[in-house]
Amino acid sequence: MTNSLRRMSIGRLILYVLGFGLAVIWLAPLVWMIVTAVKPAGSAVTVMSELFKAPFTLDNYKYVLGNASVWSWTLNSSLVALVVTVLTLLINSLAAFALSRIRFVGKQLIFWLVLMGLMVPIEAKIIPLFQIMVDLNLINSYPALILPSLAAPLGVFILKQFYDGIPKDLVEAAKIDGAGLLRIYWSLFLPLSRSSMAALAIFTFVTSWNNYLWPFLAVTEEKMMTLPVGIPTFQSAYTAELIIPMAANVLASLPAILAFILFQKHIIKGITMTGIK
Amino acid sequence: MKLRLGSKGENIAGYLFLLPFLIIYSMFMLYPIVRGFVTSFHKVSISMESTFIGLSNYTQMIRDKYFWEALWNTFYFVLISTPTLIIVGLTLALIVNANLKGTTFLRSVYFLPFVLSISVISSIWVFILQPYTGLLNTFLHKMGVVSEIFWLDEPTLAWISILIATVWWTVGFNMVLFLAGLQEIPEDLYEAARIDGAGTWRQLVSITLPSLKNVMLLTVVLQTISSFKLFGQTYLMTKGGPGTSTRTLVQYIYEKGFIERDMGTASAMSYVLFVVTILFAVIQFKFFTNKD
Repeated sequence: MTNSLRRMSIGRLILYVLGFGLAVIWLAPLVWMIVTAVKPAGSAVTVMSELFKAPFTLDNYKYVLGNASVWSWTLNSSLVALVVTVLTLLINSLAAFALSRIRFVGKQLIFWLVLMGLMVPIEAKIIPLFQIMVDLNLINSYPALILPSLAAPLGVFILKQFYDGIPKDLVEAAKIDGAGLLRIYWSLFLPLSRSSMAALAIFTFVTSWNNYLWPFLAVTEEKMMTLPVGIPTFQSAYTAELIIPMAANVLASLPAILAFILFQKHIIKGITMTGIK
Repeated sequence: MKLRLGSKGENIAGYLFLLPFLIIYSMFMLYPIVRGFVTSFHKVSISMESTFIGLSNYTQMIRDKYFWEALWNTFYFVLISTPTLIIVGLTLALIVNANLKGTTFLRSVYFLPFVLSISVISSIWVFILQPYTGLLNTFLHKMGVVSEIFWLDEPTLAWISILIATVWWTVGFNMVLFLAGLQEIPEDLYEAARIDGAGTWRQLVSITLPSLKNVMLLTVVLQTISSFKLFGQTYLMTKGGPGTSTRTLVQYIYEKGFIERDMGTASAMSYVLFVVTILFAVIQFKFFTNKD
C-alpha cells in the first residue's frame, strides 16, 4: 500500500515537472515577443540575462502606431471579422432553423449540399474564387474579404444539431399561442441556443481575424490589407531590426489573446462541437 | 415521414429562411467548385479569357516534376506532422486530465498559440531560429552545442523548424479533442482496475488508450487534412526553400495561378487537393455516422 502510494506520488511529480516544464517552453516564445517589444531599438534581446533588465520603452509601439497602414489594417481586420461574425450567425441560424424545423421540398438535397461544403477547403477554391471576384470587379474590396467566409456551412451544421434537440412540445405550445415561424425562431430558438451561438461567434471571429490565404490573394492595395496580410510586408522592410516587428506582432495578437482569455470556455466548447480546423 | 411534405405555406417559409444562405452558398461554394472544374480544362490568358484545351492542363501537370515534388513535400509533411501532433496532443491532454494543481492554467497555456495568426507565429519563429542571434541557437550554445545551426537553410532542418512551429501553434487543438475523449471515459472503469491492482501505466494501456480509439481516428483524419493544406508556415518561414525543398501543393497552386498566371494548370492541381481532402473527409464522415 505505501509502496503504491509512493509510486503514485513519484508519477505525479513527473507529471508536474513535465506539465509545467512544457508550459515554460510554450510560453517562452510569447514572453520573448512581449518583452522584446518594449526594449529600446538595438538592445541585445537574445541575451537572457539582459532581456528582463531595464531600460524599457514604449517607443516601438509609438513607432508602429505612427504608421498609418497599421491603423488601416487594424480597422479592416476588425470590420471584416465583426461583419463576418454577425452575418454568419444570422444567415446560418436562419438556414439551420429551416433545415431543422420546417418541412419543405428539397430539404434532404440542401442538407447534403451543406454536408459536402463542410469538406471543401478554401485552399482548393482559391482560383475560381479569384476569377469570380475579378468578374464582379471586387478585388481589393470589403465584399471580397467578407463574402467567401460567409459561404462556410459549419455554423448551419452545428446550430441544426442543437435545434434538433429542442423539444417539440415547446414549439407546439408556441404555435398554440399563435406564434409564427419567424417569432418561434427569434424569441424561442435564438435565446435557447445562446451558448452554441456564443461558441460559434467567437470561433468565427478568431478564424476571420487570423485568416491569411484568401485575404492575401483578394487584396493587393496596401490600405485594404488585413493585419495578417499586412504585417509580413511591414516586417520585410525591417529584416535586420526585430524589435519593431515584435511590437506589431503584439498589437495584432492582442484582440485574439483577449478574446481567448475572456471566452476560453466557449472557444474550447466550439472545438469540441465542431472537431474541424 | 419523407413523403409527408409540408404545406404550400411551409414550402415558401422554408425557402425564405434559407434564402440568404442559399444565395451566398451557391455563389461562393457551389459555383466555385464547378467553375474550378471547368477552368481546369481551359487555358486562361492574362486578360482572363479562356480557351478549351481538353486534358492538356492535366497532362502538363503530370509531366511537371515540380508538381510531383510539391505533392511529395506535402505528403512528407503529413507523414512527419501527423504522428507528432497526435502524440504531443495526447500527452498534453493526459497532463491536463491528471487533476494537477493549476490544470486550468496549463490548458490555457498549451492552447494559447492556436488563437494567434500565422503571420505572427512565423515572424516569432523566424527570429527564434535565426543563426548567431536567434533565441534557440543562443540557448543551444549555452547547453554546450558549439556549431552554428542554420535552421532554415537546409531542407531537413527547415522541415524540422516548420514542424516545431506547427506543433507549438496547433497542438492545443488536438489536446482539446483528446481531452473531450478522456472526460467521457467512465470513472468506474479506473476504479475497477485499481481494485484489481492495476498501476498507472497498466490503466493507461488497458483502459485509456482503447477508450480513445474513436477520438484517435477522428484526430488522425482531421490532422491529415489540416497538414495536407499546409501553406502559411512554409510560405512565410522559408518561402518554400531552400530552393523548392519545402514548397507545398497549396504554395505551388498559388505560384502557378497567381505568379505564373497559369490558372488552368493551377485549377487542375486544385482538383488534386480537392479530391484528396474529400477522400479524407468522406472517411471522417463515415466515421462520424458509424460512431454508435
